[in-house]
Amino acid sequence: MLNIFKKTAIAGAMILSAGAALAEYPEKPIEVIVGYSAGGGTDVMARTAAPFIEKYLGDGASLVVKNMPGASGQIGVTEAANADPDGYTLGTFNLPGMMARTIDREAGYDRDSFTYLANVVNDPNVIVTSKASGLDTLDKLLEEAKANPLAITVGMSSLGGDDHFALIKLEKATDTEFTIVPFKGSAPARTALLGGHVAMGILNISEVAEFQDQLNVLGVATKERSPFSPDLPTFKEQGLDLVNGSMRGFIAPAGLPEDVQAKLIEAFSQLSDDQEFLDAMAATANPVEVVTGEEFKQLTSDLYDLADGVWQTTPWN
Amino acid sequence: MYSDLFHALPDVFAWTNFAAVVIGVIAGIVVGAMPGLSATMAISVLVPFTFGLEPLVALGLMAGIYNGAMYGGAIPAVLLRIPGTPAAVATTFDGYPMAQKGEGGFALQVAVVSSSIGGIASAFALMLLAPPLSKVTLLFGPSEVFWVAVFGLASIIFLLGGNPVKGLISACFGVFVSVIGSDPIYGNDRFTFGQLEMLDGINIVILLVGLYALPPVIDLLETPLKTDGVNSSKLGTEPIWKALPRMNYWKTWLRGSLLGIWIGILPGAGGSMAAFMSYNEARRTSKHPEKWGEGEPEGVAAAEVANNADTASALIPALTLGIPGTAVAAVMLGGLLVHGLQPGPMLFRDNPDIVFGFMWQFLFGAILLVLLGGSLATNSFARLLNLPRPLLGSVIIVLMLIGVYSIHGRMFDVYLMLGFGAIGWVMDRLKFPLPPVVLGLILGGFAEENLRLALRIGRGDPMVLFQNTTSLILVALTVAVVVGPTLKKRFIDRREKA
Repeated sequence: MLNIFKKTAIAGAMILSAGAALAEYPEKPIEVIVGYSAGGGTDVMARTAAPFIEKYLGDGASLVVKNMPGASGQIGVTEAANADPDGYTLGTFNLPGMMARTIDREAGYDRDSFTYLANVVNDPNVIVTSKASGLDTLDKLLEEAKANPLAITVGMSSLGGDDHFALIKLEKATDTEFTIVPFKGSAPARTALLGGHVAMGILNISEVAEFQDQLNVLGVATKERSPFSPDLPTFKEQGLDLVNGSMRGFIAPAGLPEDVQAKLIEAFSQLSDDQEFLDAMAATANPVEVVTGEEFKQLTSDLYDLADGVWQTTPWN
Repeated sequence: MYSDLFHALPDVFAWTNFAAVVIGVIAGIVVGAMPGLSATMAISVLVPFTFGLEPLVALGLMAGIYNGAMYGGAIPAVLLRIPGTPAAVATTFDGYPMAQKGEGGFALQVAVVSSSIGGIASAFALMLLAPPLSKVTLLFGPSEVFWVAVFGLASIIFLLGGNPVKGLISACFGVFVSVIGSDPIYGNDRFTFGQLEMLDGINIVILLVGLYALPPVIDLLETPLKTDGVNSSKLGTEPIWKALPRMNYWKTWLRGSLLGIWIGILPGAGGSMAAFMSYNEARRTSKHPEKWGEGEPEGVAAAEVANNADTASALIPALTLGIPGTAVAAVMLGGLLVHGLQPGPMLFRDNPDIVFGFMWQFLFGAILLVLLGGSLATNSFARLLNLPRPLLGSVIIVLMLIGVYSIHGRMFDVYLMLGFGAIGWVMDRLKFPLPPVVLGLILGGFAEENLRLALRIGRGDPMVLFQNTTSLILVALTVAVVVGPTLKKRFIDRREKA
């Protein structure tokens, strides 16, 4: 009996939500779930992007950011994955973290739980060394790493994150081994570098921009020079194939009505040409790289495969 | 640099910016005074709203709240033996006995003046010495921070007096609670029983409210018929300018300020450790240490000056290096980020008017504390005790539940808090000290994380922990703290025999 009620209720809700979607979307405020507390990088991205998305959705659309911090974003992204796919609940999404968590623990979602809207930020990795280490070029660093395996200590933020994957890519590409020192977050890792407590660090470009005088920045893990810091050479230029970064974007639960999905993706895709938006993101140290829809889905899938491959050979917990 | 400092001053006095500080201080005192609501929470609630505000209005509110809350926490600590914030735990030691002796009003006045002095000293340190002091922070790598945590734990166990064995057991319990959550290196779940809610560990406010607020409230409700234990007509609510000459704690204020500033610039430990250390030091050098714990105003002064002296100084590593010295500073950093203010050496160069304006706001917040807190303390809060006890108890329970629920907006935390409350009640009855539990939770996680990082840096060789002067000094201090009291006792015993 109860079951019948439930089913009717669900069916009713589905019809209603389909009806709502058919009418001019959006008809009511759209909630954006951020899995981190207010003032963090992901939160700032969401809040900076919100007014621009409102503008491009038109019709007085309104986005409301809701912070659900905890378990490194897990609580928020699980909530977004399980929300009604009616276009009124979106969520922020971090790569490779959100995919790595489906591998190293039992997550309440997987890569098919989402409608991929747009990745907005791509913060590439950089390799830095402390001034005290004397390893001020990539060649010197690699030479030392080859001569003394595991002798170089590498400060980074947490295992199973973009920093970690960048190091593994580096180790594979150059046949070297380093000693990983995973701090809780990049700021403590950077401080340990400034104080000379670790020799090398893998961070993100936005995190070292302000500290270029006090650290040796050896290169950026992008295909082409980052517009964020055009003076810094890429690894490609130095003969090392290393591309990696931390990405942040927006998803919705899987099964979004097609017209809603199309409208949202259309709105997000306009961000990359909006100078006002780009300026606002630059001011908060968020390097922008907009990738939408299918491409974003493919990107996630690739990162999942990378994380899974790493996990198979060198599990981090 | 100093010309930048004065260039920023006129903006601070724009009426909206100044009003923000005033409102912040008042809100901070109220928030701090409510068990379960802390400055960290108030500022994190505020951060999303500051997107639309002018930077100095937003930052002024934050500076005011931070200063206000650090004093506000003393109010229930003195009147009810319930620390309103983690940093006010040491304030209960002498503040509550003073209130029982009918000197609650004076205790609050000592607290507000000391808080203000600590805040002013800290603001000056931030304004004048931020760049050199941030170099001190750099000296502290993982092994040094580990020793700071060990030293803090040793002090609280062995110097607090009472029974060191019971202190040790309490501290172990606190350290155990710090182990709950995801492993700091590998991220595996530890003692979470599959609950996502426990993955980030136990929030200090949940533990504090459960341990400290629930047992006294149970006491309040247990004795509904007894009239007020404190004779409120004798609260000592004379105007603050008349009370001022009775406060002659310059040495304690100076020492507490320096300690607070020093602990503020170290990553992590924060106001509660500063208050304990300052209290210990002041008692050790006092001419009559036996009176401490029985209502010695200087004890309140020592605790309160130090827990405010770390407010602005905790922002030194936050602004220059991006590593916040306290949980509150961490949230404030978010508030700065929202306004496009990236921590780092460039911050002072790129946005001098905002950064130095913010520092002025800290200074004025600390000064306003005496004016606003002084009158509130004597006129309103001290009269709380006139309320019938069951009513007071019920109000506090409601505040506790709301406060704990609103940390993450979930009932799970409320149940946790009630569980800690039961443990706290039992510990209280068995005369186990509660402060080591609080510090155990705060410092235990730090000790573990940094020990493991240091050992990774040393590739497993424990000698990495003793490799430089800073570490060795901290080791020596720890040994002195552990062995010192025993040696002193032996020395006195022997002398008495002779």
